[in-house]
Amino acid sequence: MPLITIPTTARLPSSLRIDAQNPAVSKILSRLSRASLLTLALDWLDEDNQSLAAPFLLPDDHDEDDYDDDAFPPAPSLDALRQLYTDLQARKGSKRDVLDRFLEGDWRHGLTLYQLAMADLQYLHDHPLSQKWAAYRITPLSPRDPSDDTTDPPVVDKTSLVIPRFHPSTFLSALQARVLPDVKAHYNFDRHRTLPLLLLRIFILDSPYNTTTTTTFFGARTVYLAFPDASPHVFVSRPQSLGGAAGAGAESKSLHALLLDGVPKALSRPRQRFALRSTKLVTRNLEELIARKGGAQRTGAAAGGWGVYADEKVRESPLETVLPTPPLSEDGGDSGGRKREGPTSGEERAVKRARLVARARFGGSARVGDGKGSRREAEGDGDDGGTSTDKWRPYVRLTFHGTHVFAGIRQLVEHGIIDGERMPGWMTGEEGVTVGAVRDGRIRGFRGSGV
Amino acid sequence: MASTPLDDEIERLQARADALKSLLRIQTSTILAAPPTRALLTTSTAKTRQNEALLARADAQLAHNQQSLYRACASLTTFRARDPDPNAVDAGAILGVRVEVVSRAKFLRPYYVLLNRPYGGSGSRSRHLRVHRHTVPPCIPLAGLAARYLAPPPSNGGQEEGKQDLAKFARALRRELVRYHHRLGVVADLRKAAGLGGKKATGDGEEGGGEDGEGGDGRLVDISAADAEAKQISIQWADGRTGRLVMGDDGEIVKVVAVGDHGRDREAVRQLFGDAKTVGEVARRLAEP
Repeated sequence: MPLITIPTTARLPSSLRIDAQNPAVSKILSRLSRASLLTLALDWLDEDNQSLAAPFLLPDDHDEDDYDDDAFPPAPSLDALRQLYTDLQARKGSKRDVLDRFLEGDWRHGLTLYQLAMADLQYLHDHPLSQKWAAYRITPLSPRDPSDDTTDPPVVDKTSLVIPRFHPSTFLSALQARVLPDVKAHYNFDRHRTLPLLLLRIFILDSPYNTTTTTTFFGARTVYLAFPDASPHVFVSRPQSLGGAAGAGAESKSLHALLLDGVPKALSRPRQRFALRSTKLVTRNLEELIARKGGAQRTGAAAGGWGVYADEKVRESPLETVLPTPPLSEDGGDSGGRKREGPTSGEERAVKRARLVARARFGGSARVGDGKGSRREAEGDGDDGGTSTDKWRPYVRLTFHGTHVFAGIRQLVEHGIIDGERMPGWMTGEEGVTVGAVRDGRIRGFRGSGV
Repeated sequence: MASTPLDDEIERLQARADALKSLLRIQTSTILAAPPTRALLTTSTAKTRQNEALLARADAQLAHNQQSLYRACASLTTFRARDPDPNAVDAGAILGVRVEVVSRAKFLRPYYVLLNRPYGGSGSRSRHLRVHRHTVPPCIPLAGLAARYLAPPPSNGGQEEGKQDLAKFARALRRELVRYHHRLGVVADLRKAAGLGGKKATGDGEEGGGEDGEGGDGRLVDISAADAEAKQISIQWADGRTGRLVMGDDGEIVKVVAVGDHGRDREAVRQLFGDAKTVGEVARRLAEP
C-alpha cells in the first residue's frame, strides 16, 4: 500500500493489479470459453508479457510445507507452468476449474489491467458481433485566422486536401491530457487479428458521471475505438457496463458524447483541426465496416452492382487486344464446354433472368455466407412539409431485421419475389448506410456516395 | 488425393487446351481487326447471316481497339454508363471518368469516378455534375477535389454562379493518383535497395544471412510507409534506432529525423541520405555498393 497518494490526471498504468477476488475480474474472465481462457493463459505466460502479466511462482525462500494446503500449489518455474497449461489444452475439463486455477492459483496476487484488457479483447475476437459499432468520418475543419477572435464554431473545410494522419501514442496522450483528464481509465491498443484495424480499448473506472464505484468496479464501462488502416474513419462502439448489457441511461449517453467530442480533438494538431461526421452506418459487423469504409479498397464508394468497376480480379489493361466479354454474360469467353440446352420453358427463363438481375444489382456483394451481415433500418418518409407537392404522400417507417438483411433481399430478388429491375437502389446496400430517409426512391442526404 | 500418371496427363492436356484457346482468341481478334479482313467482308456480295455476324464482330473489335488506343495514350478517358436504380436522378445517365495508372511498367486496374447530374430537378436544367460513385482509395482527397472543381450550383439564385471544371478535376485527380502510386513505388524501391525483400519481411533467415557484410548493428531492418498517403516513411535500424522521413508530394525529402538511445542521431541521417534531395536518389544510393 502506498503511504502517500497524490492526485493525478495520468492514465492508469497497465501494470496496476486488481485483486483476484474483485467481482469485476471474475466477471470479465467468466465470459470466456475454456479454450479461450487457456489460450489467454499461454499468452500471459509468454516471455514478452512477463513485465505485465507475471504469474505467482514458487518463491525462492519458501518453506517445505508452505503451500501444501493449496488447491493449486504455485509452479516452480515459468516453463513448468507453460507446460501445465499446454497439457490442459489437450485434456477435457470444465471452465470452472481453469477459472479457479487463475484466481486462486497462478494469479492469486491479482490480475493487471493489461491482462483484463487482453481478456476482453479475446472476448471480442470470440464474439465478433458483441459490439455495436458506428462509423464516423474524420473531416478537416477550416483553419482559423489567429487574428480573428470571433467565437463562431469552426466550419468544415470542404475543399481541404488534408488526409488525417493517425499516430497512436500521440493520440492517446492528447486524449488523456486534454480531453478526458477527469476520467480514470485504462487504455490498451491492440491490432485486430484478422482485419486491418487498430483497436483501442478504453476501460473507464471512474468518470465525472459516476464516482462512487471505484473500488467495486460496478459502474466500470468499456468502450472500443477502432482505427482502420489507411482510411479517414473511426469506428466507435457503445459504452458497455461490466454486466455486459449495453449501457442505456443518461450516464452512458454522456460518456458516448464525451468521447465523440474528445476523439477529434485528440486527433487534431495545431493549425489542423478535425471533426467527426456520422456516416449513418451502424452495424455489429466489423468486417462489413472495413469493406465499406476501410482503406486500400476500391469497393468503399462503389458497392453493390457498381462492384464491376472495383473488382480487382478483372484485368482491364488497354494493351489487351481480345474483346472483353460483358460482365454478366453467362460464358466466360469460351462457350465451347457449355451445353446449350433446348428451348427452356418460360418459368425457367424467368428464374434465370431473376438471377441475372440480382447479379446486376448486387454484384458480388450481399451473399448469404459472406460474413458481412448487417441490420438495416431504412425509414421511408413521404411528407416533406412540402409546399409544391399536392400528391398525398404517407409517412412510412420501415425496418428490416435479420442477421444479413441485404443477402435476404438478394435472395428474394433471385426467387422473383421482388422485381429486381424496379427495386430502388438503397435496397441493394450500395449506399453504404444502415439508416436513412427515403424520398423519391432515393436515400436522402446521401445523393452522392458521401465522398 | 493420389495423383496417377493419367490424372497428370489430363491436367497437362487441359492446360494446353486452355493455352491454345487463348491463343486462338488473340489470333481471331488480330485477324478481325486487320484492314484486309474488313475489306473482304464489306466487298463480299453474299449477304449471309454469318457474314453479317462477322462484320458486327469486326466492328466491335475495331471499336475496342480504338478505345484501348485512347486509354493507353491519354490516360484520362470518359465513357457513358447507366445507373441500374430505377429512381436514379437524370434517368440514370452516368458519365464515367477512367483514370489509368501505370506502375512498374504495367497498367493497373483503372480508377473510376462516376458522375451524375442530380441538380436538374424542378425545371432548372442545371448541367452541374456530382460525384456519384467512385473507386478511388480513401487516401486520395477526392472530396476536397470535388468541392474545388465540381462545386454544386448555388441554391436559390445565390451569390456567384458555381463554375465547374471537369477537365481540371480529372487532371488534379489523376495527378494525385499517380503521385500516390509513385510514392508507393519509391517505398518499395527503398525496401528493395536495402535488401528487405518483398512486401513483408520474409523471416529471420534472410535478414540474418544476407546482410552480415555491413558491420552488425548498422543495417536497416525495416522500411515501411507509415501513413495512408505513403508520405511518411518509418525506418528501423537493427540496433533499435528509429527514423522518420517525410516525403513531399513529388517524392522530395521534406524532413528526416533519426532517434537513437541518446536522442537525435544526425550521423545516421547523414550516412543514409547524404545530400540526396529526393527519396528516389536515396534508393539509388542504397542500391549502389
